[in-house]
Amino acid sequence: MTGDTAEIPDFSNLTCTNLMIRLKMLLKNAPPHATVECLVRRDQRDTIDVPFSRTGYEVKIRKVDTNRYRVSLKKKEQEPEN
Amino acid sequence: MTSHFFLFGGPLTQERLSWIEESLKFFFVKLNPENLLHHTKTRDSVFTFLLTGDALYSLQDPRTLPVWEIILSVPSVKVVCDMRELELRGISVGRLKMKNPDQVIDRNSLALNGQPSFWKDVIKYARLHEQPVPSTVGYLQMESPYMHQSAHAALQFLDAGVEAHVSVELYAYLDGVHLGHLGQNPSESDSIGKGLEEISEKAQKKGLACQMIACGRCAAARGYSTWDDGQGMVVSTCSIKPFRIRNLKEMVNQFERSHVILAKDSGFIQLKKEGQSSSFTQLENSRKPPITILVTRRPYGTEVAFGAISFAVACAYEGISTRVIFIEDGVYALMGDHKLEKGTHFFNLQEVVDAVAGSENLQFFAFQPSLNQRGIQKNRKLNAVLDIGIPELGKLLFYPPTGVSANHQRVIFF
Repeated sequence: MTGDTAEIPDFSNLTCTNLMIRLKMLLKNAPPHATVECLVRRDQRDTIDVPFSRTGYEVKIRKVDTNRYRVSLKKKEQEPEN
Repeated sequence: MTSHFFLFGGPLTQERLSWIEESLKFFFVKLNPENLLHHTKTRDSVFTFLLTGDALYSLQDPRTLPVWEIILSVPSVKVVCDMRELELRGISVGRLKMKNPDQVIDRNSLALNGQPSFWKDVIKYARLHEQPVPSTVGYLQMESPYMHQSAHAALQFLDAGVEAHVSVELYAYLDGVHLGHLGQNPSESDSIGKGLEEISEKAQKKGLACQMIACGRCAAARGYSTWDDGQGMVVSTCSIKPFRIRNLKEMVNQFERSHVILAKDSGFIQLKKEGQSSSFTQLENSRKPPITILVTRRPYGTEVAFGAISFAVACAYEGISTRVIFIEDGVYALMGDHKLEKGTHFFNLQEVVDAVAGSENLQFFAFQPSLNQRGIQKNRKLNAVLDIGIPELGKLLFYPPTGVSANHQRVIFF
């Protein structure tokens, strides 16, 4: 992950519900193993963390500024069956 | 006695009344056949329709009157009319009342001012299903004042609640946020803003709680000054004092509680309790009243269809079992292959449905008769939206979702 945030979509003006919708749409359309990134506010970060971690995504969150966070979401690799 | 009620303030079309009639048939034949038999005068009604505003025209319209006659052939169905609105519109319910004198009620209870009040009757029904104290009723308002009479209905509902010593909550969503605009000064109507302030004061004097929550997204879009001050607080400089502009999540949090919540067109369906859930979280979620959202409007022309889905996603996210049914003109959201210019802020509703379908607590359904009636088909890619007919609709309305032990289900028409 680089420190450059210029190319990352800024979703900080979205409500938590619409942010969820937007992220689900991006993840649905993303190629397998791709990482979806965005910039969000603090309250949005809290909204993303638990539900996506719980539903099979690897969630990474990094503070980039005051009330501004960079979020990366990636589908977790399936555990190989024994 | 199980009892259910619907409140209708918008037009009741032949199409809507017909699927309601079919659903009632399903309910009585499959679930409560004993209510089809032996009409006795002492029997309580199992289904009550509370009609106000434009819904009253259906009692006289030759396209809907025969459907009402079928519905009222079941003795345990009752219709309560808003007497003042009947008079205002010059509507006669004589023919229906003559045939069903005990089932068609065109007189309302008297309020404290001695005037008949339909809303006092509505509160009575809402209080029949009261949970342990504190007693609360809520109203979801989605239309703007002055253009729409529903804003007055919301006010009257809340006022009747306070009069009956009930705590009240207003949830202002979509254009409903305009109810709380500061400085309303209509010359031909009562001021809704002032009315809300008076209700808030009246509740305070009686020691009752009164909350008025407006959706932050809807308010911001409509120019209400809102910002995040870093503490999650949203402050508005152009709304009346009792109004609080908050994240939709906070509004939906109120829906997790078990009080009666109504809207212009809405329903309260009492549920028979299911078995208890195993874990604590499941148990907590199972007590939240499930919600069925009926998307009845065409997409894109108004914000209503998207607002419905957004609301459903928020409910599901908060652990409320949520079913979205595309019905009537709402099925146009499922037709064809919607395309949207890339990079736009707008949402392609089909993409939204496709993306969020399969989320925890959220299910989508397409009412097949509505598609058939319009000669259209559902986009095949939308395989997460399940096709349903009358029996499935009946099950969705009258059976609790799996694992839910709440005592009622909310039905809201968008």
